[in-house]
Amino acid sequence: MARFIVRRLLAMVAVLFAISVFTFFIFQVIPNGDPALRLAGRTATPENIATVRHYWGFDKPIYVQYVKTMGHIFDGSIVSYTQQLNVEDQIRADLPPTLSLSIGAGIIWLFFGIVFGMVSAIKAGRFTDRALTVLSMVGVSTPVFFLGAVMSYYLGYKAGIFPPANYVPLTTDPWGWFTHLIMPWFALSVLFIGIYARVLRNNFLDTMNEDFVRTARAKGLSERQVLVRHVLRNSLIPIISLWGLDFAAVIGGGAILTESVFNLQGVGQYAASSIGNLDVPPVLVITMFGAFFVVLLGGVVDVLYALLNPRIRLEG
Amino acid sequence: MVTRFSRWIGAVALLAAAMLGLSACGGGGKGSSVTALFGTAPDSLDPGFGYTTQAAEPDWIVYTPLVTYGHAEGKAGGQVIPGLATTLPKVSADGLTYTLTLRKGLVYSNGTAVKASDFPYSIERSMKLNWGGKSFYTSNIVGAAAYDKGTVKTISGIKTNDATGKITIKLLAPYGPFPNVLAFPSSGLVPSGTPMVNEPNNPPPGDGPYMFSSVTPNKGYTMVQNPHFAAQNIPGIPAGSIKTINVQVVSTPQQEANSVLNNSADVFDPADEIPGSLLPQIESKAKGRFAEVTTAQNYYFFLNTKTKPFSSLLAREAVIYALDRTALAKQAAGFIKPACFFLPTELIGHPTGPCPYGDASGPPNLAKAKALVTQSGMAGTPVTVWGENQSPRKEYVDTYTQTLNQIGFKATEKLLARAVYFQQIGSAKTPNLQTGFADWQQDFPNPVDFYLLLDAKSIQPVNNQNFGQVNDPFIQAQLAALDKVPATRLVTVAGKWETLDTYVAKKAYAAVFGYNKSPKFFSNRIDFGSAIFHPVYFNDWSSWKLK
Amino acid sequence: MAIDPAAFTPGTEFSEGPITAAPSDAARADVVGIGPYRLALRRLRRNRVALAFGGLFLLVVVLCLLAPVYSHDIAHIGPNDGRPNGTVTVGGKVEQVLSVNGVPIGPSWHSRYFLGADNDGRDVAVRLLYGGRNSLQVGLVAALITLVLAAAVGLAAGYFRGITDGLLSRAMDVIWSYPAVLLGVALGTSLALGGLDLGLFQVSGNSLWVPTVIIGVVYIPYVAKPLRGQVLGLREREFVDAARAQGMGSIRILLSEILPNVASTIIVFVPLIIANAILLEAALSYLGAGIQPPNPSWGNMIADGIHQLPGAIHDTLVPGIMLVLAVLGINVFGDGVRDALDPRATVRIEH
Repeated sequence: MARFIVRRLLAMVAVLFAISVFTFFIFQVIPNGDPALRLAGRTATPENIATVRHYWGFDKPIYVQYVKTMGHIFDGSIVSYTQQLNVEDQIRADLPPTLSLSIGAGIIWLFFGIVFGMVSAIKAGRFTDRALTVLSMVGVSTPVFFLGAVMSYYLGYKAGIFPPANYVPLTTDPWGWFTHLIMPWFALSVLFIGIYARVLRNNFLDTMNEDFVRTARAKGLSERQVLVRHVLRNSLIPIISLWGLDFAAVIGGGAILTESVFNLQGVGQYAASSIGNLDVPPVLVITMFGAFFVVLLGGVVDVLYALLNPRIRLEG
Repeated sequence: MVTRFSRWIGAVALLAAAMLGLSACGGGGKGSSVTALFGTAPDSLDPGFGYTTQAAEPDWIVYTPLVTYGHAEGKAGGQVIPGLATTLPKVSADGLTYTLTLRKGLVYSNGTAVKASDFPYSIERSMKLNWGGKSFYTSNIVGAAAYDKGTVKTISGIKTNDATGKITIKLLAPYGPFPNVLAFPSSGLVPSGTPMVNEPNNPPPGDGPYMFSSVTPNKGYTMVQNPHFAAQNIPGIPAGSIKTINVQVVSTPQQEANSVLNNSADVFDPADEIPGSLLPQIESKAKGRFAEVTTAQNYYFFLNTKTKPFSSLLAREAVIYALDRTALAKQAAGFIKPACFFLPTELIGHPTGPCPYGDASGPPNLAKAKALVTQSGMAGTPVTVWGENQSPRKEYVDTYTQTLNQIGFKATEKLLARAVYFQQIGSAKTPNLQTGFADWQQDFPNPVDFYLLLDAKSIQPVNNQNFGQVNDPFIQAQLAALDKVPATRLVTVAGKWETLDTYVAKKAYAAVFGYNKSPKFFSNRIDFGSAIFHPVYFNDWSSWKLK
Repeated sequence: MAIDPAAFTPGTEFSEGPITAAPSDAARADVVGIGPYRLALRRLRRNRVALAFGGLFLLVVVLCLLAPVYSHDIAHIGPNDGRPNGTVTVGGKVEQVLSVNGVPIGPSWHSRYFLGADNDGRDVAVRLLYGGRNSLQVGLVAALITLVLAAAVGLAAGYFRGITDGLLSRAMDVIWSYPAVLLGVALGTSLALGGLDLGLFQVSGNSLWVPTVIIGVVYIPYVAKPLRGQVLGLREREFVDAARAQGMGSIRILLSEILPNVASTIIVFVPLIIANAILLEAALSYLGAGIQPPNPSWGNMIADGIHQLPGAIHDTLVPGIMLVLAVLGINVFGDGVRDALDPRATVRIEH
């Protein structure tokens, strides 16, 4: 186990390093993409541009710029090009909407995914199963930003059932926080409910054929006890690990589309607007932040998975 | 990373606690406060860095410069008036020396006294912070370029005396709009010793009717009345009647417009676009608190006079005849006023005569345009049309490209991200720069600022603003004289500017299609009539009154 | 648009974690004496729902291929012909294509502006079909890129193991951990400005190749990972040993012995990757990094529509519904293909 963790950590550092290098260099291919040209303003003279370039160190070789930028990330002093705001402060300020969105949606999609998946499996082959399967497929096939736009148009703007999406801090107005987030939560969840329902259904059906389930039935346990205690418990293991990874991905920038369409002003939207402004420092930090979550939770999930399921051995 | 993350979590918890605390002591005592909504956050409220209109609007009433603009609508609002200086600058006969005297007994919002030496300090600070318009300092003030390069410790061209309050500024060459440069919010005074870094979270104190009491970058800020201001009795600068102004950054213009329409917020950001689909509703329900005001910003398609096909005057004329300005205005949801002259209506020098090639608000004359293209021999020339990929600017280029195709060119569009658009079309290295979208929003209400875009002297290899590569001896001769006329005497040369602008329209150097219109839109709490829509800074927040 | 990393196996990091390499279906079918693919085809034919949805997807494809016919003979207007100041007769009344405030007209249900106009006064129905060609083309070509590269990576990593596996797996890790949409948007934005210059061939910024290649690359790990797992199992089997004993070279063994045995897995992935590629293109377009205007695509049509809300909802609904129908069609069909080829559902990609 210890060896596994150490190897994982080393791999994580390597991956984060590669991602940071790649992200930093992506923006170098833009012709006239020299940030100094943008930062100097439209009326700048060539001399003004040269000063700005020197001030930011854009006149240094690219690898020096990379090393400097990474240094600023680690000592927490990195600022964005366009606003000169501390990037880590900004991410911190944008975390509440992102966390509210992803935690709430995570609970919703886990709950409905399990319910739909179980019902589907128990009614396998019948109308309910078919209907839920088609519904799941529709969920998987609908882009979240399209769903979000249509929801906020019909349910928010036309019918006035929900307030226009925007983030209301939990601490200032808990009820407003809740009502403003209902639409984003469900819009983001639909996709995952579709996935989870189908994964659980298949796991459930597979598990029902396993020996230990037959043994449990033979012991005279009621059908309900068998389904809940044995089948559901065992088929939930992969669902939980799936959830961990999806949750990590959503926090680490995966909610960028949901945040944009509902204007939640979270980390994802910060990333989107920074990319639009070709503002490298925030993009770099958010990408690394996202990848960090994905890799970290990936490792945690593997360890948990091994603990829950003794048949699996960790390599390494 | 792990430790950083735990620090983040800690900070989030702290933030939550702080918010709880704040909300607990909030509530009562709202008094006269208004809520203004902004679709875009200011780049920074620090006057040494803020360059966008969203920054200039509040900074204008927080950081009073030595001279500033009249708090009035129309041309009176474009006039420079004394601010912290006792009078307008005295200019020497050669136009090179500006002398001003600081008023007595001035204090900043934190109570410290204002000193004459704070002026050069504030200018130096703006330059150190790389303020976006600093070329106005480096190209005009003696020693400013050297200071910018870091070779000297202070700007040699500015001399001050704290005891007498006398300030002397030496210029490199006579520059008429220099009083306008002195009126920039970035020229507004901040105390000497203010850190030479951008302070977006905690903007420095200034001497103006309002001060910033709290700022959360990209989310909002609060302004309150400056307790020290009213007693200073600066003529022409009202102390304002609203006690607290809450500014919230909201994300969509739709939501912003709806909130103001149903009176849950008080002010709509004039720099935002009201969605066209909401306009009929606003016009009917918000009668008497909504108006469209023309501002000093032009929209045009540049025509590169150095390459085919627009090196031909006939081809350029054809484009002007063919422009469907009313269609373009529609695509701006009506927030463009069709026009043909380069200088907007709001400016001194805007020609009063008719448009040389067809009526600006009439239908295009495609037959005439086609004939001209054929006559010019440029029919069938491939043309690349450059534009920004954001609505509604994308749509202007779509329509314009079609127009070019209709009159006989082979036009294809190339749309770029807004962040690099002007850098791309301003670079000598970019190929096929034949025509494309451009606009200019004034830095200050002076025609000189607009003619920067048609001045042969401003052609440069990077960040070029003379996109059409216009180099006309008549324009150069006129500018040589007009550039020197002090802003305070601008009215005396209005006729000359009109002649020049009419000439430019006749030569079809730019296919101007209109001027910007901005919404003046308030809740029913605010007295619409007395609220000033300022020609330079849009809403004058110090003129707001509750009914 | 999180493609679900864990949907394949519970393992998480590309190169590690438990691998649920299924006993190849093809191998099992041999015992029965009937070809595995014929068996699968028989199963698929019995699945009416899957066939119906497959038909739906085909219908969308055919409609989009007929775009020029529709444009030329029915609507009489090209995909980029904007008439911002034009008029159209609807029910005997002459109406403005764009209102004074620039709001486009809704569906006329006539030959011209059948599904309404967009904010340039262009015919939405015509653009829908032309846009579909672009969206589908990007989806199909990107899927091809993904499958070819993923097969190459998966086979090489699984067969050669050692340093090859290490390098390839690390590279896959990087793509896999990179937040997919962020990667796509960052690449899309910068390449849309700069284009690609790979020496031999150059791609301009607004070429369809930019989003195609990006989407193709993003999905490689999701396919390469399960393939590698299968190959790791297959290379220890007797028939591979036999081939080696006969002195066959590695490349020949990979192509003639291993590849046919993983082919069914690859086939299962085809529809799933196409569906996801179409969705990712739409997401990138929504964030301004997909197919660049004025080329229409369903994604950038939806994006334009959303931008104009709350006016002209048809500009959002029309391309959105078309996209959902196409993706739904191929997803349900793909599900049927999987059920037919891999009834134990060991391969999944549901983003």
